[in-house]
Amino acid sequence: MESLKLPATGRTPEVDFDFAQGVLRLSGESYPDDVATFFGPIFAALRGFLAEPGGHPVRFDMELLYFNSSSAKALMNIFQMLETAARDGRSISVTWCYEENDESMQELGEDFAEDLHHVAFTLKQIPADGAS
Amino acid sequence: MLAQQYAGIKRDLDEKGIIFSFSGYVSEGILYSLGEALREKMTLEETDGPTVRRVFAVFVEQMQNIIRYSAEKVTGAREKPVELSAGMVTIGMEGGKVFIVCGNTVYNADVPRLRDRLEYLKGLDKDAIKTYYREQLREAPEEGARGANIGLIEIARRASEPIEYDFLQMDEGKSFFCLKARI
Repeated sequence: MESLKLPATGRTPEVDFDFAQGVLRLSGESYPDDVATFFGPIFAALRGFLAEPGGHPVRFDMELLYFNSSSAKALMNIFQMLETAARDGRSISVTWCYEENDESMQELGEDFAEDLHHVAFTLKQIPADGAS
Repeated sequence: MLAQQYAGIKRDLDEKGIIFSFSGYVSEGILYSLGEALREKMTLEETDGPTVRRVFAVFVEQMQNIIRYSAEKVTGAREKPVELSAGMVTIGMEGGKVFIVCGNTVYNADVPRLRDRLEYLKGLDKDAIKTYYREQLREAPEEGARGANIGLIEIARRASEPIEYDFLQMDEGKSFFCLKARI
């Protein structure tokens, strides 16, 4: 399956889904003016990838610095897809990165982790780069 | 006369501690530009990263509430669909804390439900807000809602004090709605 790569824009995160390697990454900020238009193709690609036979292990790196409440719903969708695939036997790990001192992002990671029972979820503190 | 009038408006804003204000039609494009200006200003003042993000997060949810729910709107499409919604956004400092107040008109018919939600949120403590957010994250969007429905909870969650709100009935059809969050 072909990779999905989208460069970051002022309002949308960089998407780097390397399906061949099973390494997926979202990084940056997410507050798109139209959440459905931005996340629609991401959901479709991920759904297609998870439905493929073979069961390649998956690593998902969440490196978001900020997302709005509509994006939170979209992320919930992504996590539900990952959890379902993991429950069905796929090996899936998610690393949730948050900058040191950013309690909001740490807590949001914990919010999502609460529902994940089959996905291996790790919270990872990263140094603040000084930029916001 | 002209300078006197506008100096009066400015004095009013200054007295309320408002350092940033916008009144008029807002759109997603204006949200983006104002948001960037707001972040640049706070970063220049060496506000720490997480605080900048919390203020910005509340600003985004407040602006998107205006864009989606203002009762005064102009919509149309030329090259792409545009949605302009009338409202106000002000950001200021008060007792060492940043506050954001947004105002827009809403339909009277929508007031009771909005009031109920805000009153409920206002009564929750930090942990209860967190739990409520987690619950709503799992809910399907309400009928007719365009947002995630958790925008107001996000505002309350990022605020350091309970949110404040008020309604003023303007005529038979509409009311003016204000929401204040202190970060």
